[in-house]
Amino acid sequence: MPSNSKYDAIIIGGGHNGLTTAAYLARAGKKVLVLERRHVLGGAAVTEEVFPGFKFSVCSYVVSLLRPEIIRDLDLPRHGLEILPLDGTFTPMPSGDYLWRVNDHGKTHREIARHSKVDAEAYDEFGKAMQAMCRFVKPILSMVPPDPATLNPKELMKLLFIGRRFQGMTSEDKYNQVQLMTMSAIDFLDQWFETDVLKATMSASGIIGTFLGVRSPGTAYVLLHHYMGEIDGAFRSWGFARGGTGAISNAIADAAREAGAEIRTKAAIAQIIVKNGKAKGVVLADGDEIYADIISSSVDPRLTFTKLIEAGTLPGEFLEEVNRYKFRGSSGKVNLALDALPNFKCMPGPGAHLRGAISISPSVEYMEKAYDDAKYGNFSRRPYIDMVIPTLTDPSVAPPGKHIMSCFVQYAPYKLRPGLNWDEQKEAFGDNVINTIAEYAPNIKDIILHRQVVTPLDLEREFGLSEGNIFQGELSLEQLFFLRPVPGWAQFRTPIKNLYMCGSATHPGGGIMGGPGRLAALEILKDFKGAA
Amino acid sequence: MPETKSRSANRNVVIIGGGHNGLVTAFYLAKAGFKPLVLERRGQTGGAAITEEFHPGFRCSTLAHAAGPLRPDIVRDMQLEKHGLKMIMPEVEVTSLTPDGRALTLYRDTEKSCQEIAKFSQKDATKYPQFQSSLAKMGRVIGKALTLAPPDIDNPTSGDLWGMLNTGRSIRKLGRRDMYRLLRWGPMAVADLVAEYFETELLRATIAARGIFGTFLGPWSAGSSLVLLIRAAGDEHPAGSCWFAAGGMGAVTQAMASAAQQAGAEIRTGAEVIEVRVKDGAASGVVLSNGEEISARAVISNADPKRTLLKLVDPAHLSPDFVMKLQHYRMPGTVAKVNLALSGLPRFTALGDEINGVLSGRIHIGPEIDYLERAFDESKYGNFSRQPYLEVTIPSLTDPALAPEGKHVMSIYMQYAPYKLKDSDWEKQRVALGDTVVKTLAQYAPGLPSQILTHQIITPQDLEDTYGLTGGHIFHGELSLDQFFTMRPLLDWARYRTPIENLYLCGSGTHPGTGLTGGSGANAAREILKDLKK
Repeated sequence: MPSNSKYDAIIIGGGHNGLTTAAYLARAGKKVLVLERRHVLGGAAVTEEVFPGFKFSVCSYVVSLLRPEIIRDLDLPRHGLEILPLDGTFTPMPSGDYLWRVNDHGKTHREIARHSKVDAEAYDEFGKAMQAMCRFVKPILSMVPPDPATLNPKELMKLLFIGRRFQGMTSEDKYNQVQLMTMSAIDFLDQWFETDVLKATMSASGIIGTFLGVRSPGTAYVLLHHYMGEIDGAFRSWGFARGGTGAISNAIADAAREAGAEIRTKAAIAQIIVKNGKAKGVVLADGDEIYADIISSSVDPRLTFTKLIEAGTLPGEFLEEVNRYKFRGSSGKVNLALDALPNFKCMPGPGAHLRGAISISPSVEYMEKAYDDAKYGNFSRRPYIDMVIPTLTDPSVAPPGKHIMSCFVQYAPYKLRPGLNWDEQKEAFGDNVINTIAEYAPNIKDIILHRQVVTPLDLEREFGLSEGNIFQGELSLEQLFFLRPVPGWAQFRTPIKNLYMCGSATHPGGGIMGGPGRLAALEILKDFKGAA
Repeated sequence: MPETKSRSANRNVVIIGGGHNGLVTAFYLAKAGFKPLVLERRGQTGGAAITEEFHPGFRCSTLAHAAGPLRPDIVRDMQLEKHGLKMIMPEVEVTSLTPDGRALTLYRDTEKSCQEIAKFSQKDATKYPQFQSSLAKMGRVIGKALTLAPPDIDNPTSGDLWGMLNTGRSIRKLGRRDMYRLLRWGPMAVADLVAEYFETELLRATIAARGIFGTFLGPWSAGSSLVLLIRAAGDEHPAGSCWFAAGGMGAVTQAMASAAQQAGAEIRTGAEVIEVRVKDGAASGVVLSNGEEISARAVISNADPKRTLLKLVDPAHLSPDFVMKLQHYRMPGTVAKVNLALSGLPRFTALGDEINGVLSGRIHIGPEIDYLERAFDESKYGNFSRQPYLEVTIPSLTDPALAPEGKHVMSIYMQYAPYKLKDSDWEKQRVALGDTVVKTLAQYAPGLPSQILTHQIITPQDLEDTYGLTGGHIFHGELSLDQFFTMRPLLDWARYRTPIENLYLCGSGTHPGTGLTGGSGANAAREILKDLKK
């Protein structure tokens, strides 16, 4: 590419993926400019002081462990990234009992045995089986999806590679793999376990970010990611970033800057400049025009192709597919500033059980009923809630003695039934969450200093996530791998030359993993080489 | 002489169960010169495709009330017409009704359907033929796969490779657009699929129903599109067309039985197999309930996989792992059947007196996607739907011989009726089930209750007890991605063979296993013959 423009690459959006792409391109010697609409970097991986002294991880709240190669390549620890462990999952039950799984294998085994000896045994087997599955899936997460519709040998080799790996598995593993890719979380777990609360809590990771229930086919495979270092999709994982989730984005940004990337905030983009089928640059909201050899957009396809690109530029067939791409935000957040710690009926007082994730998922029926509400356009009357209290691990994010509790809530359907709208329902939604928590920790209402409610509509307006989908598009089978985001356009390129996608809407998808940002950068660099 | 005896003995094959697939298998084996003996537990062959007199002068397809449709090559090979089968194909496929008195009728003739759809939405009327042609294209591809024996993944035979290559080629022929459609549609929820094409709720629901019929899926369940695609493989009409047989579905299996017998198969009814005899890992024959033992070179079971391998075979002959997996094979039934003898033709509010044959196809009750999904919701928690999805036929309209002059029979599939009820059992709920069905229909045809002379109620429990369908599942197991093609019934055991040598499966619990098509029986016969001819 003849480089007569100011920059080699402009990255649209300063989320963790955009920043990752920027860092990789900068490290390859490219002149990179990142443009972020908001006043703060990080997109949905952001820390903001919403109330004086209280630094909330407003959206994403735990680290779905970043791809290790990214941490390595970008040397993130040196740039200030420090991951603190999040130990275990505590599930209070209405009966007054609870299920408390921790990283300590022996403890967890005894705890599950308390509910069912059979399950305690099965739990270990299950873990092993999942590991075997991970070995199959991991390389797929870090490969550029093949295009099964071409006869291009390179693409066919990729398919063959996957086929071979599959053939290479034991028939036992094949059996599990096939089930994982197709079954519902509950159908799958039913084969292993009998304890309802265990199945309910484990199944939760199969629904996060989707508009599916734990009984919906296709939810089983997300469970798998729970067992992977890198989690594609599942919000939950085993780590906090010191200083909140935003610290991850800041570390990546720091690495990018060090490599020479230029990063601007409060730089909203009005349009991508396209001349005879080629992306040339961008027009900022304030009218400035900036030119570059390539543009890579980390915002979702709907914004990129229907808002930032002039109508009539793209082939109708492609736009049709973009419009078909499903977002359907199904979750919200309630962030609380607390004066003290919540006190759980089933395990009173402070303790290690508050240091991990606290999951409101008492039964399979509870989880499925929460979904039923959402199907007909209501937020769940009794939702699935995943709570963490980061201040117990990282006191720096709140004033001394005070606490932060972050509550991820599903389901909160973006499209409410006719007659309801989120602006009116916002506080009712928040109240409902608090009331649900109060059934397990009655003191919650008395210890709340401040409350921030984040609805799917807020996610769309404030964070630019269409329909409030936290993963830039549903993680359902028909929107994964070579079908993400648009069938035939899963390789980070677009019908417009020099315009790329590098956000969570591309393979391997959402969650703070940086996978899409890195893979996109590698593809972009290939094209640079090809052109040079 | 003894030598010839042994040679003939060497050709003896036992087939457990005289359902349509068992009869199809029997026919092909007999035609190949073997001596199949079909053993049917009940007093008549036909399995789930039977016609019975359930009230003096009133005959009705007891269970299945419309054909799959039958695979044409099977109809041809067995010369079913010559054996007395007369198919009835009303030009009306389905009429969908709404409680507020609207009706949408879809015809075999696409143009005519479009005219009807246009009354609801011009846009949908233009989309309908596009949707149908996409279904047709993909159907041709899937249709190819349905006629294949699922390949052996680990070491594919040359035949497998050829079959896959063949299918692969036809997939390529689809072209990029439809190929990606195929990949995308498979795992989708049918509610999403129909919403991509149509805006009319009634039309959406009518087509979506095809993706959930007989399954433990709702229209919002991922994978329900696959069920629609599989069915479209045999019949590209979006909502599915309507194939009756003169004399009811029993006439189909009677023709098959007669074809099999003429080809040399022997059929014994009232002969219940209680055990498959296994000697050193190989099936050697069967034991009947009366103690009689019949030895055979091969035993082929038309019964479902669980019944065959967990009940008729001593588990000692199977690996615990295999048994465990088979126990996990999902076959929770979701449908019940209600047959009514009527003193006259019910008057549907939406149609008034201007019926013009629109009742001669299927009648779809389930006006909205959400209506269908809500019906499904209740079954998830172990209750049968209070506002069920119904597929109704009045076969006596096209086949008056089924009922006395001026009177009619109405055949109703009710969904969802979960096999496992929460804190109750089907004996207690039988009456309530019947009432729910009649009450639901009365919302569309207020006069109906007063026209009922008698009703026959068949619960999922009856389907298991009387008709031998484990879990009351009419398709011998869920039609879901994880139980389809190379996974039906189990991965590594999808080729009609079982871990027990000389014991085979030929029922709907094997690929393709969809409705009354004969596909499983024909595929199975082809595979089994490969072994028998060795």
